[in-house]
Amino acid sequence: MKLRNLKFALSSAWQSFWRNLAVSLAAVLSITLILILGGVNLLVGHTFSQVVDGFRLKVSEISINVADGTPLQTVYDFRDQLTADPRVATVTFITKEQALVDFKADPNNAVFATQISGNPLDAKLQVRVIDLKDVAAIDLLGRRWSGVDPVDPTNYQGDFVNRMLELSSWLGLAGVGLMAILVVVSVVIVMNTIRTAVYHRRKEIEVMKLVGATEWFVRGPFVIEGVMTGLIAASIALSLLVIAYQPMVDRFHTDLVFIPLSYDPSYITFLARDLLIGGALLGALGSYIGVRRFVRI
Amino acid sequence: MRYTARDLAARARERLTSLQEFQLMVLTPDFDSRPIISFQHVWKTYPTGTEALRDVNLVVPEGDFLFLVGPSGAGKSTLVRLLIREEKPTKGKIFVEGVELGRMKRRKLPHYRRKIGLVFQDFKLLPNLTVYENVAFALRVHGEPDRLVQSRVAEAMDTVGLSGKEQTYPANLSGGEQQRVAIARALVHAPRFIIADEPTGNLDPATAWEIMQLFLRINARGATVVMATHNREIVDLLRRRVVAIDAGQIARDDRSGRYHDEVTKPQIRAQ
Ligand SMILES: Nc1ncnc2c1ncn2[C@@H]1O[C@H](COP(=O)(O)OP(=O)(O)O)[C@@H](O)[C@H]1O
Ligand SMILES: [Mg+2]
Repeated sequence: MKLRNLKFALSSAWQSFWRNLAVSLAAVLSITLILILGGVNLLVGHTFSQVVDGFRLKVSEISINVADGTPLQTVYDFRDQLTADPRVATVTFITKEQALVDFKADPNNAVFATQISGNPLDAKLQVRVIDLKDVAAIDLLGRRWSGVDPVDPTNYQGDFVNRMLELSSWLGLAGVGLMAILVVVSVVIVMNTIRTAVYHRRKEIEVMKLVGATEWFVRGPFVIEGVMTGLIAASIALSLLVIAYQPMVDRFHTDLVFIPLSYDPSYITFLARDLLIGGALLGALGSYIGVRRFVRI
Repeated sequence: MRYTARDLAARARERLTSLQEFQLMVLTPDFDSRPIISFQHVWKTYPTGTEALRDVNLVVPEGDFLFLVGPSGAGKSTLVRLLIREEKPTKGKIFVEGVELGRMKRRKLPHYRRKIGLVFQDFKLLPNLTVYENVAFALRVHGEPDRLVQSRVAEAMDTVGLSGKEQTYPANLSGGEQQRVAIARALVHAPRFIIADEPTGNLDPATAWEIMQLFLRINARGATVVMATHNREIVDLLRRRVVAIDAGQIARDDRSGRYHDEVTKPQIRAQ
């Protein structure tokens, strides 16, 4: 496209936007709301995936408790066996003494620690697996080991892990579904806005076609108008989301202490990219579809 | 005194103002050369089932000035729409400068339209643009640079006698002036042929005559003109080529004709 044509398209898109200001603003507002929903969806998705990643990290490590009186050599043999296992990332042996020190060092246990006498804690092998789905197998290996503490063999909570994984996959699916709905709704909104703009300019379009405008020349201003609508909406939505992101995380953090929600400012760059590109694409697609029937020469 | 198309091309820049002068300046199209437009057994049936054109054969040589006459609903506008490829023939072929319109790719269509100057009964000016911008519109759409646009528009405004009205809006002009603006827009890109669909239909006789003079002048400069019209006085006075269409068929094609067939003198008077 020639620069002159681009200039023409830009100026006529701009004029058209202002000429139908009410319709344009209604479209901007609707798309803003949709992009806010989309953005919240992304943020919630991101926050949850952070939480899930945290859990993953935690649950991909299990402790195999060693029964008191197990010969050290047996423990070492088992440790070497685990280390050689391709599914295992790292194995750390923690002695009874070390376990007690760690226990006392945790401020959460401060009250408890003053009341214990002797060392009720087991020595343990901390095993981190490479892939979360292998935790169950390693857990089984630990439970069958001769040196394991029969009363409290491992800290593995299989049920919890499975539920977490299931929940996160459902959340992902729901997020994708919601996004799809939002995309369709916003394309329809832009389409109708552009149809209004096209209706206002049908005479101009007719003359353009008669004097030999190419389809892209006719379509250009409308597609740009759509992109403009999308970008303005995305900027507004982005500002609101950025302002609300941290307070919201803090708010939910105090309400749901057991879920380690966290504010991640580095994600804002990705959010901005996704919203702006998304807004522009939705605007372009909506106006392309909206104007299609009218530009056919 | 008669001129061939080649003579006229050489005198293209010469301006003729008085009636006497341009009546002398009659372009004699060369019917033996390759025609610029040719209809070969063209049929047009609209999706509604209306047979608007039936087996139309028509040859238009370069430099011709052709009146398309006939009662309302005869198919004149349909013929014009086929010629500018707004519609495709249902059957038959239309050639323009050797290219078959029906086979022309959609991609090529804008370039084809740029060879044509179009004038309509309802002017089709854009009310929110000034006269200057209306005339410049075609050139802008073609993506021409500003300097070229300026000189071409000035030239076209001069041709139609509207210099000085550039910054006016169409609504502030008379019907005749609006049609002049439309003609300036049709001329501004120096098209090979001008197609007009009842350009004087909305104008009073005196204004219609002025507009007609403009078309003759354009033709005298070498452009081929095809004009659908209801204006009996003008057609009868000018005695140019007349193609009469009736119920979608060519009823008559006279090189120097009148609005009505002289022999039968039908009483029907088209509105
Ligand atoms: N777009 C269309 N769809 C259906 N019928 C049409 C259409 N345009 C014209 N016609 C019909 O075709 C016939 C010829 O119309 P037209 O070419 O406009 O005649 P004219 O210009 O000579 O008055 C008429 O019967 C008219 O009703
Ligand atoms: Mg007509």
